[in-house]
Amino acid sequence: MTAWLVRGVQLVLLASLAGLWETASRLGWVDPKLLPPLTQIVGVLFTLLQDDRFRGDLLITLGEIAAALAVVGPLGFAAGFFLGEHRALYRALSPALHLLLAIPKSIFLPIFIFAFGIGFLQKLVFAVTLAFFIVVLNGIAAAQSVPAGLVTAARSFGATRGQIYLRIYLPAMEPLILEGLRMALIFTITGVLLAEMYGAPRGIGRLIFAWGEMFRMPELFAGVLLIVAVTIAANELIRFIEDIRRSRRRGF
Amino acid sequence: MSIAASARPEKGDIITAEHVSKVFGSGTQALRALVDVTFSVREGQFVTIVGPSGCGKSTLLLILAGLVPASSGRVLVDGQPVSGPSPEKISVMFQDAWLLPWKTAIENVEFPLTLRKVPAAVRRPRAMSLLDLVGLARSADRYPGELSGGMKQRVAIARCLVQEPRVLLMDEPFAALDEQNRTRMGNELLRIWERTGRTVVFVTHGLTEAIYLADRVFVMGVRPGRIIESFSVELPRPRSIDMIGSESFGRLRNRIWHLIGEERG
Repeated sequence: MTAWLVRGVQLVLLASLAGLWETASRLGWVDPKLLPPLTQIVGVLFTLLQDDRFRGDLLITLGEIAAALAVVGPLGFAAGFFLGEHRALYRALSPALHLLLAIPKSIFLPIFIFAFGIGFLQKLVFAVTLAFFIVVLNGIAAAQSVPAGLVTAARSFGATRGQIYLRIYLPAMEPLILEGLRMALIFTITGVLLAEMYGAPRGIGRLIFAWGEMFRMPELFAGVLLIVAVTIAANELIRFIEDIRRSRRRGF
Repeated sequence: MSIAASARPEKGDIITAEHVSKVFGSGTQALRALVDVTFSVREGQFVTIVGPSGCGKSTLLLILAGLVPASSGRVLVDGQPVSGPSPEKISVMFQDAWLLPWKTAIENVEFPLTLRKVPAAVRRPRAMSLLDLVGLARSADRYPGELSGGMKQRVAIARCLVQEPRVLLMDEPFAALDEQNRTRMGNELLRIWERTGRTVVFVTHGLTEAIYLADRVFVMGVRPGRIIESFSVELPRPRSIDMIGSESFGRLRNRIWHLIGEERG
């Protein structure tokens, strides 16, 4: 299947789903109070996006996500890279790492609120904590993905340590770094929204939670739709960059 | 065929190994990979090192290249002791071409010069002429992913030559190729060697290849790794495939085969 055909099929599926949703809601196959028609939801979303306060909430949420990404990305990757390069240390810490990854961190939200309140900082810390371990694992994999033979060959024609890191490691790790960015994005978005839903003065997560409590389904779905759209857009952007970079390598 | 094993470095020797030993690990678990390896290579010669698996020939090559330190003894290149990689004097090739997958063939060839910050106007034509030498001028802008194994190795040869080293060390570079390609690459290598006049030290576990290519063959033994004997190959140059069927070739091959067979036990 060519890329265009795949894309075509995806769009057709999406359109069919949207059509089904709309029909089911309008014709009463599902209770429209529970599942409003898609067109209505989109209309509500447009209205919300004109509202200053809503845009303010959106900006706050996006700001928290961006800040969390800016912290957990370099920090997590550096830690992972260091572990990947020092096998003995990695072997020692590996069980603990995987254990911490497996623990559902959302159950610690009350503790985070206790320690950091319900403001920007708490959202940041929680999202970073949620994404940290997956980025570390990604950093480890990235370090281990650099073929030792490539490094030996570079050494043999006189590459310095710095040159090896800059000109061999970095390009070699690029696919995994981009993958790690994608995963960090997913986890920071989840973390921020979760923390906001649990307790926050502002933010999309808080709005979605509040709308749910007030049983304002069109608004709730509008918020959810927005988050889904933002997530997909960011994801696809990184995928697009990955594809471009991969086609350059041709067979790596 | 005469047997010659020179040990003392003489004028005109470009590489000398003096009592090189390599031990991995320590105590009761120490592995003596190489013990008291001593030999010399005259500049301009093509020598091969042949031996059974595990005899340490790859380790020896890495030590000659300065990539791995010897546990004792030393290596002299052009009279100077080796303490690390010396890219202006020594180039190394491995079984895998180890080209950078994100760079084109020509970018790979000029990579050692890029590291040295040689300007593009100087390094590009040099790289191009080397690609031409190995017959890949038309593939200059291809990526390694688009090249066959043999082509990749040829790019690797060009890359090895770009800094105009005195010595080319090669660790079973054609082992991953099929027999046809291996023979072709062997002839290619001889042609390039004759054109450029470098010294070549070629490690292989193929007896025929070792004798066919070389002026001298060093035979290594295993457990511990050491040089048991060396042979001069008196066949005329340029070599041709039918020499392999000749009686003298066969006799030398048998000699070495038995030598290695005794070693393997």
